[in-house]
Amino acid sequence: MTILPFAWRSLVRQPARSILGIVGVAAVGALLFDMLLLSEGLVLSMGDLLDRMGFDIRVTASEPLPGQGAELEDATGAKADIAGLPAVRSVTSVRTETAMVTRNEIRETDALFLAIDGPTHPWSMVEGRDIAADDEMVVNRYTAERFGIRPGDTLTFSANCGGRAEAPPRVDFRVVGIVTIPFDRPRRAGGATTIAGLERACGGARAGAADFLAVASAGDTAAAMAAIAAARPDLRAFTNEQLVGRLQQGGFTYFRQISTVLITITMSFALLLITVLLTVSVNQRLGEVAALRALGFSRGRVVLDVFCESALIVGIGGCLSLPLGWMLATTLDGILKRMPNLPEQLHFFVFRPEALVVHGALLCATAVLAALYPMQLVARLPIATTLRNEVIG
Amino acid sequence: MNAPMPIVSATNVSRAFQMPAGPVVAVRDLTLTIAAGEHTAIRGPSGCGKSTLLHMLGCVDTPTSGSLMFDGRDVAALGDRARSLLRLRHIGFVFQRFFLLPMLTAAENVELPQAEAGVPRVERLRRSLELLDYVGLSARAGHRPSQLSGGEMQRVAIARALANRPRLVLADEPTGELDEATGEQVAALLDRVNADGTALVIVTHDPAVASRARRILTMKDGRIERESAA
Repeated sequence: MTILPFAWRSLVRQPARSILGIVGVAAVGALLFDMLLLSEGLVLSMGDLLDRMGFDIRVTASEPLPGQGAELEDATGAKADIAGLPAVRSVTSVRTETAMVTRNEIRETDALFLAIDGPTHPWSMVEGRDIAADDEMVVNRYTAERFGIRPGDTLTFSANCGGRAEAPPRVDFRVVGIVTIPFDRPRRAGGATTIAGLERACGGARAGAADFLAVASAGDTAAAMAAIAAARPDLRAFTNEQLVGRLQQGGFTYFRQISTVLITITMSFALLLITVLLTVSVNQRLGEVAALRALGFSRGRVVLDVFCESALIVGIGGCLSLPLGWMLATTLDGILKRMPNLPEQLHFFVFRPEALVVHGALLCATAVLAALYPMQLVARLPIATTLRNEVIG
Repeated sequence: MNAPMPIVSATNVSRAFQMPAGPVVAVRDLTLTIAAGEHTAIRGPSGCGKSTLLHMLGCVDTPTSGSLMFDGRDVAALGDRARSLLRLRHIGFVFQRFFLLPMLTAAENVELPQAEAGVPRVERLRRSLELLDYVGLSARAGHRPSQLSGGEMQRVAIARALANRPRLVLADEPTGELDEATGEQVAALLDRVNADGTALVIVTHDPAVASRARRILTMKDGRIERESAA
């Protein structure tokens, strides 16, 4: 009988204890897996959302993150300058406002009013078609459901353009499609049209301005960045990676710190659990181990048996922990996403292959460390004294 | 006629144990040779050093002084791995408490030392069944120790001790946990093992078991007090 089947039989011999160990490792492994998904999840999800918008560079008027600083007052001129660069494939002006949306007796006062001017539209079509004129609009699913509208219906928008004093004009838009807008918050009405359409709704306020320019490079992001910096040194450009990096340096580090603390606690718990189980198990069969040694089993072999038992407990528990962890992550993600003002498509728990590798490596380390003490017990077992004590006992 | 070749020779061996109250000498300045094919019984009161001597003869313990040679090799000079190999290939142990592994069948228990010795699977399966047949338990090959009686477990343990065809079998109170009739059967089986050419050393309290040996050593206070031949 080879070592692994032998270790398996030793585990099966004490089913309750082995099941306890395996379930414990599965629970700890699931938490570990979740913490690994959480530690980078928000950053990865944010990066994925940015990438899905179809741009790799954002150009703003000032240092702060796009949408947080001063607006691009002459977006039209900046757009023309950057669009003419050979390293740039396309430039789209992006401007957002809030608006009141009404239809019949239904009203939404804090709706997203997104406007773009450029060839690439940062939303995904769900139904209908994309906008082709300044009086057309695509809306998110919540708006479609809230107002009971379909492509072809009309919605009235009153835009709040830069907090101007006078009441905004009420402008009708023909809804031509239903879309998913990145960074859209759940249960928030929203629609997108052209910048000209938004300017019409704003009555000319902030005409020619934009929050930022979304730039798609011709393939070489670094070259496009350098070209933009040379052409418009008064503006600031950020790649998606830089943007994610800034977020990582900010509030998102909390998740990594929390994950690190929880990983340490859960791994310590697993370590103690397996060490205790194996030590009790080994102590109960010291006589057998001494007998095996007397029969000629080498020290290395009996030590390896203990290690294999540890590896089996951790291995089986670790495999069970993955589906368990995934289910737990899905549930926790749903709970965390209920926080207000979060984009609907943002996730806290995001799978990445590296998480699996780290999960496996940490569990392997646990199997080794947990087995150290019981392995030492077996390795240092005095054969003759143990056999004598077993008879006396 | 040539004298039988010695398997294990102890010359002036002593074994002391460090205890909190001071060292306790279990075996004192003892000289003994076990030759091939011998049948020796070691008797004596509890604590006289019988088991300690047996453990030294079986290379699971080393003397604190004196010389112990197994097959001409100085046991004290061998490392742990070499002594394990020596026990695996040349010595069989039979314990008072059997020490069969409860999660393995009788056949698997017999197979275990062979697997450790690297015997191919087919051969060790054949040998295990052959040995179980030898000890009269071929019908119990698939039974676990918990399904066997005490006498049957000791017979499986004897089969396990013979698994790698040892030259020397050491039995420490092999009938100590058995009733008289079952002990008699086990003793008879050990006689047969010896008759088939394996040297046998039995530590026993039981005069009936000891009287089966051709050589009886009586120990007292760590020394051989008397040696008699049957």
